[in-house]
Amino acid sequence: MQKIYPIIAIIGLVISISSVFKKSPFFNFVGLQILIYGLLKSADYIMPALPAQVILMYMAMSVFSFIIYFSIQEETFKAFLEPMRSLFADDNKKFLRLIIAFIALPLFAGYLTYAKVKPTYDPPVSARIVHPEPPSQMDFKGKTMNVLGLENPLRKDTANFAKNVEEGKKIYYQNCFFCHGDDLDGKGHIADAFNPVPLPFRGTDTIAQLPESFVFWRVAKGWRGLPAGSGPWNSSMPSFEDFLTEEEVWQVIMFIYESTGNKPRSWE
Amino acid sequence: MADVSVKKGLTKGVIKLTVLLGISFLFLFVLGKLLPTPTEDGYRVFPLIGSRVWVWIIAQLHLNFAAFVLGVPIFAVSMEFLSWRRSDERLDRIAYDFTKLFTLAYTITAAVGTLLLISLPVLYPKFMDHMMKILGPTWWLYIVVMYVEVMVCYYYYYSWHKMKDNKGTHVAIGGLLNIMGVIMLLITSAWVGYMTTPAGVSETGELLSRWKAIKTHMWIPLSIHRLCANVVFGAGIAASYAAYRFIVAETDEDRAYYDWMGYTSAMISIGFSLILPGVGYLLGVEIYSFNEQMGIQLMGGFFAWLWVMQAILIGAILMFVNYYLWISLNKMPGGERYFKYVKYLFVTMLLGYAVWLTPHSVALSLDEARKMGTYHPVLGNLGVMAAKNTAVVITYLATFLSFAIFKMSNKEAVVSWAKLGNALRGLIVIGSTVIVLILGVYSYMVSSAVRVKILSPIQFGVFFLAIVALFILDAKMFKGAKILGEPRWGKMPERSQYALIGITVTFTWLMGMMGYMRSGGRQYWHVYGIMQDTSPDAFLPTHGFASVVTSILTVIFFALMGLLFYGIMKLEKKGGQGGAKA
Repeated sequence: MQKIYPIIAIIGLVISISSVFKKSPFFNFVGLQILIYGLLKSADYIMPALPAQVILMYMAMSVFSFIIYFSIQEETFKAFLEPMRSLFADDNKKFLRLIIAFIALPLFAGYLTYAKVKPTYDPPVSARIVHPEPPSQMDFKGKTMNVLGLENPLRKDTANFAKNVEEGKKIYYQNCFFCHGDDLDGKGHIADAFNPVPLPFRGTDTIAQLPESFVFWRVAKGWRGLPAGSGPWNSSMPSFEDFLTEEEVWQVIMFIYESTGNKPRSWE
Repeated sequence: MADVSVKKGLTKGVIKLTVLLGISFLFLFVLGKLLPTPTEDGYRVFPLIGSRVWVWIIAQLHLNFAAFVLGVPIFAVSMEFLSWRRSDERLDRIAYDFTKLFTLAYTITAAVGTLLLISLPVLYPKFMDHMMKILGPTWWLYIVVMYVEVMVCYYYYYSWHKMKDNKGTHVAIGGLLNIMGVIMLLITSAWVGYMTTPAGVSETGELLSRWKAIKTHMWIPLSIHRLCANVVFGAGIAASYAAYRFIVAETDEDRAYYDWMGYTSAMISIGFSLILPGVGYLLGVEIYSFNEQMGIQLMGGFFAWLWVMQAILIGAILMFVNYYLWISLNKMPGGERYFKYVKYLFVTMLLGYAVWLTPHSVALSLDEARKMGTYHPVLGNLGVMAAKNTAVVITYLATFLSFAIFKMSNKEAVVSWAKLGNALRGLIVIGSTVIVLILGVYSYMVSSAVRVKILSPIQFGVFFLAIVALFILDAKMFKGAKILGEPRWGKMPERSQYALIGITVTFTWLMGMMGYMRSGGRQYWHVYGIMQDTSPDAFLPTHGFASVVTSILTVIFFALMGLLFYGIMKLEKKGGQGGAKA
């Protein structure tokens, strides 16, 4: 099935190019939409497939923008509307009108409705909040901590920085590595057993976006600490306050930042 | 709005406001006696839709109208000033038309404000008691300023023709009106600022310093953001009004005038909107520095999806604006020479739009989540601020170029260095784009503090420098230029006017959604961290529900605006131009 999308893109390209020669903006528009759809669906030849939600957004944007583009100049816009006007108004297009307006379009609408309501065994698509909002206060082993403004106390101990990172490394390999992976890329041995998969720490879009206080809260509280809006049932992260001391949590946080080259978000 | 003398107009305004305030206090008194006492927590429940949705709709409607009546006077007075200095009758007419619009809108604003004034103390008495305890004096100041503003506004409007030979004084009165407007804005922003980023109180809500309770983290950035947004919004409404009048116009003369009015209003709206991303950024920085948790919630947590929605809507607004400018080339003699550039601007806009709306966290099916992981390796990179800021700056630059092209399309430079000037223009455009792109890529490699505090401001700085440089260059290059013909005002297809209406409807909806986000940032607090919301509504509604509420109030707002437009047209028919007596 996947192999069909490049062919769809090529068909779109051919329609688009030929309609340029035939000076038909409407079919150029149709061709371009088919081309863009085919290309977006073919993305998995060079990267993981684009999610359906993103493709839908891009296509909606594309339809909106290209209608705008083809209606800038009066003559182009008239030519753009011409096939539709002709289909619904010309006497010699009665048969085509019958086919398109009374058969093809209702069938297409029917198919869309069917596709929308047909029973499926897939769980519903969910909009997951990857960085949920932390509470302003939390309880850590009976100690009340203000998450707001919470700082890693070990950062001040610059003399023992390397030692703390080293300790963090040990803790990581004893507790986190199975899920978050040897390369801290979220691809641990048992990562595939979970849905959603564990977070990677590399790259610019996870821990690099967060202050250490946030990471401390997530490590300490795991899925149990997530607010209801963030779907606590949607995470397999254990509450590490049950297994680690406060100092150990800070040490492992230092390790994951240090080994990925990321810096905690701060205002300094 | 038949012709009315200054004295009569002024008396009418004061009576109207006093009656509305009187009604409010009477209702408050009567309702306080009639309604059952509030619950132990200090709440009453509004029937059917609940207190929150009721106050939400009324407050947002009031804010929409207030934005309009505070925003429009800024450029109405600017137009009058220009008409006075240049002795341009057409500018005077447009300034008067704007004034007519906002003066009439004052009544609706005050009426909706009255409803809010009744609703809040009745439905949330304990919360309002707290607000009065902390910021009470500002409330009395607000009433005084409101009276002064209404008097100045009515005087400004009704003395228009009478003071036509004394324009300087009249413009000064307009200036005073705007000063009053800004003071009103500062007072109301102080209330919202206190609720969201409180200061000057103890943990139990006891007042420690009233000035600190006013001067919160959010106060000034929110005020600046609202001030700019009010101008954008007010000008947008004026553009919609002009578009509507263009569509229903019966003579070429009217069509030409309203085409010009629509263009002028739309350009003011878009001109000011250039500042909004930067000012919004400042507001975001202040929220983060007040409370990182709130910042995370607004930017990356529950509300992250609204930024995607915002991107879709602002992208649509910019597309509408560019569309309007591109279509306007049709009415410029010589405009056809520039159509060849439109496709490049379009592609730039399209790519910028695509990056801007790419979400960071994507809604995934089980299968997609398994294949992709948490973040898509490519889309994930487009979803962060480094990419967004770059896309925003480049799309705004493209929009400015569309405007510049429109402005120069009926001119031909005659200066000896025209070729060099064109090369310089190309260099500025390409150079600034390349710099913005390089800074955008470099943003991925630095800490967030460097990105937020240094690189992003530089990106916006490069953008502003580029448009200032282009502006100066074009002014020098086209000085004494050969004019190929005057713009054929009125020769615009109707669809271009729907683009103007589309801009304003989208903007109104966006304001509603962003208002929901700003308010929702407090979560289950009336005053964040100080006074908890313990009402049955102390939960965040879903985005879907918020969209429905926002859509309904947008429809109500435009229905009321439609009534306003209809009223103006009817009164014009009844009594000539209507309004102030000469």
